[in-house]
Amino acid sequence: MARTRHVIVGGGTAGMNAITTIRQYDRGASDIMLVSAERPYARMVLPYYLKGSISESHVYTASPSRLSALHVEAYLGRRAARLDTQASTLTLDDDTVLPYDNLLIATGSSPVRAPVPGADGQGIHSFWTLEQAQGVVRQMRPGSAVAMVGAGFIAFTILNALLSHGVKLSVVEIAPQILPRMIDQQGAEMVAQWLRDRGVAIRTSARLQAIEDAGSQKRLRFEGDADLLADCVIMATGIRTNLGWLDGSGVAINRGILVDAQQRSNIPNVYAAGDVAEGKDLISGQPAVHAIEPTAMEHGRVAGANMAGQPLAYRGSLLMNIVEVLGLEIASFGAWDSSTAEVFSATRPDRPAYRKLLWQGDRLIGAMLLGPEKDVWTSNDVGMLKGLVQTGSRLGDWKGYLQRNLFDIKRAYIASGITARLLPQTVLGSPSVPAGTVAVA
Amino acid sequence: MKVLRITPERCTGCMRCELACSYMQTGTFQPAKSVIRISPFEAHTSYAPYTCTQCAEAWCLVACPVEAITISPVGAKVVQDDMCVGCKLCTIACPYGTIFYNPDTEKAFKCNLCEGNPACAEACPTAAIEYVEAQTTDWLGDFAATRSAGRLGLLPGQA
Repeated sequence: MARTRHVIVGGGTAGMNAITTIRQYDRGASDIMLVSAERPYARMVLPYYLKGSISESHVYTASPSRLSALHVEAYLGRRAARLDTQASTLTLDDDTVLPYDNLLIATGSSPVRAPVPGADGQGIHSFWTLEQAQGVVRQMRPGSAVAMVGAGFIAFTILNALLSHGVKLSVVEIAPQILPRMIDQQGAEMVAQWLRDRGVAIRTSARLQAIEDAGSQKRLRFEGDADLLADCVIMATGIRTNLGWLDGSGVAINRGILVDAQQRSNIPNVYAAGDVAEGKDLISGQPAVHAIEPTAMEHGRVAGANMAGQPLAYRGSLLMNIVEVLGLEIASFGAWDSSTAEVFSATRPDRPAYRKLLWQGDRLIGAMLLGPEKDVWTSNDVGMLKGLVQTGSRLGDWKGYLQRNLFDIKRAYIASGITARLLPQTVLGSPSVPAGTVAVA
Repeated sequence: MKVLRITPERCTGCMRCELACSYMQTGTFQPAKSVIRISPFEAHTSYAPYTCTQCAEAWCLVACPVEAITISPVGAKVVQDDMCVGCKLCTIACPYGTIFYNPDTEKAFKCNLCEGNPACAEACPTAAIEYVEAQTTDWLGDFAATRSAGRLGLLPGQA
């Protein structure tokens, strides 16, 4: 029997998890070809590279020896150009044709810049790829003025790194609040105050009109607000999924590639994972594009298992984000912005701490948490809130308790038997194995 | 494999496990740095120690973007300090709330079963914590539910 040919398009979190999972099951009994425009690395850790706390070598996720140990034929520096789902062939940008039995689309996202004159000019940076991160690293000078355009999750992941270089930072956001897709307005105001108290200038509802050259600097012009001068401009104005190359392929796309519980698209031997996939949201049960690392990881593992012939149904992805700025931890889960949920919220008078719990009946469907990372309860409760939302456990009388005691999650968690519900849960139906221990037989 | 078997009925709330754990893990007697944590129930007359179950899914391990969490010879999920960058993805992925972040070292930290000789079990004077061959289970749920009835206002005259 001919060996199954798996083609993986994209070497990010989803693609690499799929490869490892295929090998976990088949121990080398198939051919795996990886097409990746870049040498695989972990995007999540680029902020630490910018900060200088890790070296460039630390960001890579698939060394040549790892790819070799997993018997992966790598096409690095190549992009997928055309997909023929009738013939089951993938054509690369150098006209190489790869026939496949199973294809995984995991091409991720690219940054989008604000649609204003000058946004594409010299000296305007994105912070998304390793190469772009290197570009920003070269611009870091103590005391220089840095303008961050956009105040979403991606922008916030690099604030600490920027400030550690001693730059003078201004953040401008078009929405009325910072972190608009991660926390509510009340939380955003607490975070903005925390940053202003530490010397970061913040403008919200800022309508950027143009970016112009001003000597060696850049001048950012706004509608109805003063100009801003900066030595370095970083654009963190959102991302767009890389799906354009699939035009005419027959793969069904809504906001992303629509996938079933096996991560399979409308074409039976074409799978999708990560930012490009629109799969089931655990809380709503509806198709959603999360574009977050944890969803990419689980998508990749589930796709890999199914591609390896292990029929496995995915329970769905839980939306979650966590970021820390100058010692303030910010996290949200699930349906944190639901407009129909019953909401409990509380702040603490003595420090910047805010909690919000969202309910459907006596089940927690979303949560938001904000507090100093030095508080013991902060990191403790982040995980427990995730467990409560993830299991969808009925909390009965503990709901009333949590309404009165939003800062005492632990008792409710332990007494509701969440541990008993979680212990049998695994994504692949078997104990997880460390990626580094997976090898061909 | 050997696991930490918790018998909450035996726990007196003396906190020796937290002190021993923090000393073993960080070299200081600082319960805030302990990875086993005592919770009071029944208006501070019942206590239960809570720590990592070394679960099968290993949510922390699969979440780590740089493979900084591995499985030790005794079956513990262990953070490799030289690999951890401090991104906290593990702390939000773990649904048990048993992996922590140390702002001083900028690393994640968790129970590593003290490489097979857990300090908490050794320090516990009442054998509420034992390191034995057993199937991991929810050691605390039923105990906590029963002992919390008063806190929930379900019993008259208690709070």
